[in-house]
Amino acid sequence: MTFEDAYRLSPELILGFFAILIVLLDLGVRRKGWLAALTLVGLGASAAWTAVLTAGGWQGTALGDTLAVDNFSLFFKFLFLGAAALVVLASTGYSIRFARFQGEYYALVLTSAAGMMLMASGRELITLYISLELTSLSLYALAGFLKDPRSNEASLKYLLLGAISSAVLLYGMALLLGLTGETHLDAIANALGRMPGANYPVLFLGIIFIVTGFGFKIAAVPFQMWVPDVYEGSPTPVTAYLSVASKAAGFAITLRVFTLALGGPREAADWSLIFAILAVASMTLGNILAIPQANIKRMLGYSSIAQAGYLMVGLATLSDLGRSGIIFFLASYAFTNLGAFIAVIAISHRIDSDLISDYAGMAHRSPLLAGALTFCLISLVGIPPTAGFIAKVYLFNAAVQQGLAWLVIIAVVNSVISAYYYLGVVKAMFMGTPLSLERVTAVRPALAALAVATVGVLVVGILPEPLISIAQAVGRSLIP
Amino acid sequence: MTGAQFLFYALGLATVMGGLGVVLSRNVVHSALALLLSLIAVAGIYVLLYAEFLALVQVLIYGGAIVILLLFVLMLTRSGESPLVLDNPQKPVALVVSLLFMAIAIVSFFLTRWKLAQAPRGVDFSVLGGSLFQDWVLPFEVASLVLLVALMGAIIIARESPQ
Amino acid sequence: MIPLEHFLTLSGILFSLGLFGVLARRNAVLILMSIELMLNAVNINLVAFSAYLVSTEFVGQVFALFVIVVAAAEVGLALSIIIAIYRSRATSNVDEVDLMKW
Repeated sequence: MTFEDAYRLSPELILGFFAILIVLLDLGVRRKGWLAALTLVGLGASAAWTAVLTAGGWQGTALGDTLAVDNFSLFFKFLFLGAAALVVLASTGYSIRFARFQGEYYALVLTSAAGMMLMASGRELITLYISLELTSLSLYALAGFLKDPRSNEASLKYLLLGAISSAVLLYGMALLLGLTGETHLDAIANALGRMPGANYPVLFLGIIFIVTGFGFKIAAVPFQMWVPDVYEGSPTPVTAYLSVASKAAGFAITLRVFTLALGGPREAADWSLIFAILAVASMTLGNILAIPQANIKRMLGYSSIAQAGYLMVGLATLSDLGRSGIIFFLASYAFTNLGAFIAVIAISHRIDSDLISDYAGMAHRSPLLAGALTFCLISLVGIPPTAGFIAKVYLFNAAVQQGLAWLVIIAVVNSVISAYYYLGVVKAMFMGTPLSLERVTAVRPALAALAVATVGVLVVGILPEPLISIAQAVGRSLIP
Repeated sequence: MTGAQFLFYALGLATVMGGLGVVLSRNVVHSALALLLSLIAVAGIYVLLYAEFLALVQVLIYGGAIVILLLFVLMLTRSGESPLVLDNPQKPVALVVSLLFMAIAIVSFFLTRWKLAQAPRGVDFSVLGGSLFQDWVLPFEVASLVLLVALMGAIIIARESPQ
Repeated sequence: MIPLEHFLTLSGILFSLGLFGVLARRNAVLILMSIELMLNAVNINLVAFSAYLVSTEFVGQVFALFVIVVAAAEVGLALSIIIAIYRSRATSNVDEVDLMKW
């Protein structure tokens, strides 16, 4: 490892360092609020270093080409760090439920963020696999943090299904290794270009297995069975983190592996069709199953499956515009979903219920939280002037340009269906009669996080150009 | 048939029998023992593939740690005492899916023209170790973090919460 | 010499046994064991490729090593969760964690 390698790896190293520091300090620190502050310092330091890498022209590869520091990975690093920071802020009121394990909670948030950052940067199968497992194991543990039966069950289910999917993913990776003799993504692409046609069945098997493995991470139908129970049983801040950061990491690794290693015309035609089919299934099933849900976390779980469906439309396009559409969609989805979840964390923590019926009349009890939640739900439907609207227009436009109009029609119909259940929550909050007149408030850090998220949704919705140009630069940097 | 071939088919048979035992046995403890048989046989397969180091690791980690851990948990949760209904109604679907996979995979393995080397070969312990610390230093370090995370997670979750 | 395809066939059989196990079993510990079968199938593939194919060094063996490390970590975490569930329910039935529910 040379100095340059360490320099390029520093955002991740900082997170690892702070994770261990926090666990150690947890032994002596009485006021656990300091640990949250220290976590934020760690995330901030890592983000600052990422900014230095971005601005200082440090783009390149590190550690013998196993790690890429390009605009693509730098963008995702900012995304994961930002999401982790908002989740940490939003956990401040909630984290008393973790009792004596608050330090470990923050440490695991940091290690999972480090894993996701490596997932977005890896250029080599072994590195990608081990970073994926670092992320996953941290998240399995986080899902069980409430230590009640539901949370335990969520954790076990997540772990078992995650382990199955990563075994399938590994089988696919092993086949890819066998066909090419390589683990570096660009070397794989090179070798696949010279591969005899008789080997295609094995390659196709490998593609299906890799789609299965990544499909689990991004929660695409039919690999979504874990979502409702895990989203419901996990601590709500962890659910928020799962729905945004883990999904974004899944898309980052999918984009990288499929466009870089499996970008050949024959393979690409096949996997883009697979993703188009998965997109239709995810959108439709996610939206239809979201309608009858009474628990808001479960409903947002199904909604996140549907959103993964919209995002996969971008994977099916196989174009630069489609890839930048995914990037833009992920950024605006991060603001939107985090905003919605932060409001849900604040409200549910106070009223001690996740039922949508208990949200009745929330507009009277807490105009601020209800208003912010409404705004984010509107963005999830995709109504202007929100980020969600621009994201959908951008992504669907990219799909139409590639002749995927049929897919876009299905997506638009689905967006209309989704309005029904999203606005159902809004209706309950504004038209329902409150169960009590007690005011619902949130702690200051959570309000700050909520403000960041909703302002983000609004700004991207009104002034999308800066983010669009970033998304285009990021999308282009994926193919060197 | 040469000695190596005989050994391979014997070990392969043991692996598959162990695997069948894991998925078919009605007693959880028997399943764990069948798993042990399968895993040790796989270690033998590694030796035939000139991967002596991996064979050692396989015996130590799988045989020595994982199966023992599984048996401990079976003992702690008293799963071995009562025979249970261990299968879910999806069994026929599961059978079809796995047989389908097996057929497709094996047929396509034989159709493929693999880029075979001159002769099968292994690698020296010291070369493998050196490359772990040089070429694969990043995954190696991340693996240590993975173990730390698993350790923390296991302690937090298994520890009794103060009521 | 044993042909490469025979190793791959063994791995295919082992993987489908594991696949059958994870889909058909209901007990969490048994599902975990089936996952181990799948991972071993992957490792047989990796090691066989490493020995037989023209490839960069012995990358298959290195990969297999990491798979074993992660498998151990996963089993440790999973078993701690199973113990926690057993304790909170005070029952020997760990198999009520229904994985196939929609």
